[in-house]
Amino acid sequence: MSTISLQDTHHHDNHDDHGHEHHQDTFLTKYVFSQDHKMIAKQFLITGIIMAVIAMGLSILFRLQLAWPDKSFPILETFLGKWAEGGRIRPDFYLALVTIHGTIMVFFVLTAGLSGTFSNLLIPLQVGARDMASPFLNMLSYWFFFTACVIMMGSFFIQTGPASAGWTVYPPLSAIPKAIPGSGLGMTMWLISMVLFVASSLMGGINYVSTILNMRTKGMDLWKMPLTIWAFFLTAILGILSFPVLVAGVVLLVFDRSFGTSFYLSDIVFGTQILPNEGGSPILWQHLFWFLGHPEVYIVIMPAMGISSEIISVNSRKPIFGYHAMIYSLIGITVLSFIVWGHHMFVTGMNPLLGGVFMITTLIIAVPSAVKTFNWLATLWRGNIRFTPAMLFAIGMVSFFISGGLTGIWLGNAALDINLHDTYFVVAHFHLVMGSAAIFGMLAGVYHWFPRMFGRLMDKKLGYLHFWITFTCAYLVFFPLHFLGLDGVPRRYYAFTEFAFMEKWLTVNVLVTWSAIIAGLAQVAFLFNFFYSIFKGKKSSQNPWGANTLEWTAPVERLHGNWPGEIPTVYRWPYDYSKPGAEEDFIPQTVPFSQTMSSNLPHDFEGNTEAEKIQAEWELNNKPAKDTE
Amino acid sequence: MVHTLQQQEFKFDAKPKKFVVWLFVVSSTIMFGGWTSYYIVFAASKGKGHGLVLPDAFMYSTAVLVVSSVTLFLASRALRNGNKKSQQLFLWITFALGLIFAYLQFQGWTGLYRSGAVLINNNAAISLIYVVSGFHLLHIFAGICFILNTLIGSYKEIPTEKAVYRQEITSIFWHFIDILWIYLYVFLLLNS
Repeated sequence: MSTISLQDTHHHDNHDDHGHEHHQDTFLTKYVFSQDHKMIAKQFLITGIIMAVIAMGLSILFRLQLAWPDKSFPILETFLGKWAEGGRIRPDFYLALVTIHGTIMVFFVLTAGLSGTFSNLLIPLQVGARDMASPFLNMLSYWFFFTACVIMMGSFFIQTGPASAGWTVYPPLSAIPKAIPGSGLGMTMWLISMVLFVASSLMGGINYVSTILNMRTKGMDLWKMPLTIWAFFLTAILGILSFPVLVAGVVLLVFDRSFGTSFYLSDIVFGTQILPNEGGSPILWQHLFWFLGHPEVYIVIMPAMGISSEIISVNSRKPIFGYHAMIYSLIGITVLSFIVWGHHMFVTGMNPLLGGVFMITTLIIAVPSAVKTFNWLATLWRGNIRFTPAMLFAIGMVSFFISGGLTGIWLGNAALDINLHDTYFVVAHFHLVMGSAAIFGMLAGVYHWFPRMFGRLMDKKLGYLHFWITFTCAYLVFFPLHFLGLDGVPRRYYAFTEFAFMEKWLTVNVLVTWSAIIAGLAQVAFLFNFFYSIFKGKKSSQNPWGANTLEWTAPVERLHGNWPGEIPTVYRWPYDYSKPGAEEDFIPQTVPFSQTMSSNLPHDFEGNTEAEKIQAEWELNNKPAKDTE
Repeated sequence: MVHTLQQQEFKFDAKPKKFVVWLFVVSSTIMFGGWTSYYIVFAASKGKGHGLVLPDAFMYSTAVLVVSSVTLFLASRALRNGNKKSQQLFLWITFALGLIFAYLQFQGWTGLYRSGAVLINNNAAISLIYVVSGFHLLHIFAGICFILNTLIGSYKEIPTEKAVYRQEITSIFWHFIDILWIYLYVFLLLNS
C-alpha cells in the first residue's frame, strides 16, 4: 500500500483541472478504482442513494400490504412473480421486505452512505490533508462495500428469497436454515454481505481516525476542529470498537448454521424432529448483536449531528452555541453508548436489577442529547438565518431528533418497555430519532457540500419542494405509529387485521401508506435535482455559503491533493461568524488574528501575553478611528 | 493551472500508516474480546467451561511463538544497526517459527479431536476453542504475509525509510498476535 500512495502523490505536479483528460488518469483510475478521497466520497454517496431508493421501494411494498391487506394489485405480480402471486405480497416475502429494508437503511445507507460520503469528503478537506492516511485502504473500503451491496441485493434473485428474520437476525429463526425460506441461502448471503460490510466499515473507520489524529495541518489542534470532524472522529471510534463484536457474533452464527455447533441453539423441536443441538443460548446472540447494535444507532446519528451543527452555525451566521459542550456531549454519547445495549433486551428474562442498571445508563444519555438539542436551538436563536435547503434539512434533523428522542425516555424505562417492546411504538421511535433525523442530516449535507463535490449548486426551489413534502410526510408516516404501538399492535405482523382489536387501525395505516407513497414521490424531485445539477447545475463560487472551514479554501476544481500550493495554516476556530468589529460576517480559519485587529477578543489569544500586548497597543492607537466608524 | 507542490509535502509519512496498523490491532482485540466474553457469559450461565486438559501441543506452540517474537525483535535491531544480512536471517527464522506454530496448532486440534472434544459439540465452550484458535491462526497467516513483505522489501533494497516502515508494522502486528495467543491460551487454561 505504501508504494501506491507514494506514486499517486507524484501526479500532483502536473495535474490539471477537471474536465480535461489526463494521460496519467485513465477512466479506470479516475472514476472506478480511484484513490482520491473526494471521488471515493462520491462513489459512496451515489451507491448510498441507489441503496436508499431500493430500501424505500421495499418499504412502500410492505406498506401496501399493511394498508390494503385484502386487496389485490396485479401489477405486483408482474414485477415480483411468485413473491406476489395473485397480486398480493406473500407472508414470507413480506418478512424479507422488512428485513432487507432495515438492513439496507441502517447499514448501507445511514452507515456507509452517511459516514462513507461525508467522512471521506470532509476529513482531509477540513483538517487540511492531501488525502487519507491510506488511500489504498480507502479504495478497498468502497469496493468491499460495493460487493456487500451486490451480494445483499443478489439474495432477491435466488429461489428461497432474501433473509427474513428481521434486521437483527435473532437465532434460532436465523440459525436453522430450514426454519423459514428466508433462513436458507438468503440468510447465508446476508451474513457474507455483512462480514464484507463490516470489513469495509473498519477499513474506513481506521483510516478516518488515523487521518484526524496524524494529518492535521499546521495550527489545526483538536480544539480548532469543526464539529463535523469531531462527530466523524467519534463515530469512527465507535465503529472500530463495536463492529468487530458483530463479526464475532456472526462467525458463531455461521458455525451454528453451516457446521452444526450449538452456540445459540438448544432444545429445538422442528416439526416432529428433535434437533441435536444442545446447550447454547439465543440470548447470547442478542448480547453480542446489541453490543454492536446500540453503538450502531449512534454511528448513524452522530455524523448527522456533526453535519447539522456545522450547517446550522453557517446559516445562522452565528458561532455554534457551546462548542466545547457540543464536543463533550458527543464524547459522553460515545462512552455511554457502550453500556446501554441491555435496554434492547428488557424482556429476555433479564435480572430486574441488571435491567435497572441498563435503564439508568440509558436515561443518562438523555443528558448529552439534550445538551446538543438546546445548543442547536440556542444557535438558531436570534441568528441571521438563511433558509437554504441544507439549513431546512438541518433544522428538520433537530425536529426529528427531539420528537423521536422524547419517546426514547419512555422506551428506556424497563417497566414501560414490557408493554411497548416490539410494538409500532418502537418503530415510530427509531424511525424518527435515527431514521428520519439521520436521513435529514445526510440530505442537509448533500445540499450543503454539493458544490464542494461537483463544483455546481443544486436547484433551490426543487430543494424546498423536496424538503416540505418529505418533512410533512415523514411526520405523517411515523407519528401515527406511536398510537398503534400504545394500543399494542406488534411490529412485523403480516396480517394484523386478523386480530379483532387491531382492525380499527386499518384506516390509520391507509393514511400512513399514502404519506409514504407521497414522500417517496418527493424523492424524485431530489433525484432529478441531484443528477441534473451534477451536469447542468449553476456553477458554484469557491465559497458559496460564506463558511469558515478549510474545505472552502480549496479550489472549486477539486484537485487530487486538494490544494495547489501549500496546505493552508489554521489560526482560529471555525465558528467566527458575525464577530463584532469584523468587516464581514465570517472570518475563515486561515485568517490570522493580525489581520482582524478590529474584531479580536481577549479570549482569542488563549493567554498569549505577547499577543494580548500587541492587541492592547493597537486598540490604544486605533480607538478614535473605531468610534468614527 | 500550474501547481507547485513542495517536494517535502510528498515525503513518505509512515506515522499515519503505522497508526492504521495500531487501530487494526485494537479492532481485532475487540473481536477476540467478543468471543471470550461469550465464553464467560456462557460458562457462568451453564455452570461449566470446556472442562478439558488442553493438549501439550498448545504449550509448545506458545513457546515457539514467544521465541519468534524474540527473533523478530532481533531482526528489527539488525535493521537499526544497518545489518541487512542478519535482518534477513532473523526474518527467515521468524517465518519458519510461524510455520512451526501453525503446524503445532494443527497438532493441538488433532489432540483435541482424538480426545473426543470435537468442533461440533453440545458444549459450546469446546467449539469456541476451535473458533478462537482458528481465527488466531488466520492472523498468523496474515503476519507471515507481513514478514514476507518485509523480506521482499529487504531483497529489493527499497529506500531505508520504507524498509524501516515495513519492519515496524510487521513488528507491531507480530508481537500483537503473540500477545493475543498468550491471552487466549491463558484464558482457556484458567477456564478449564
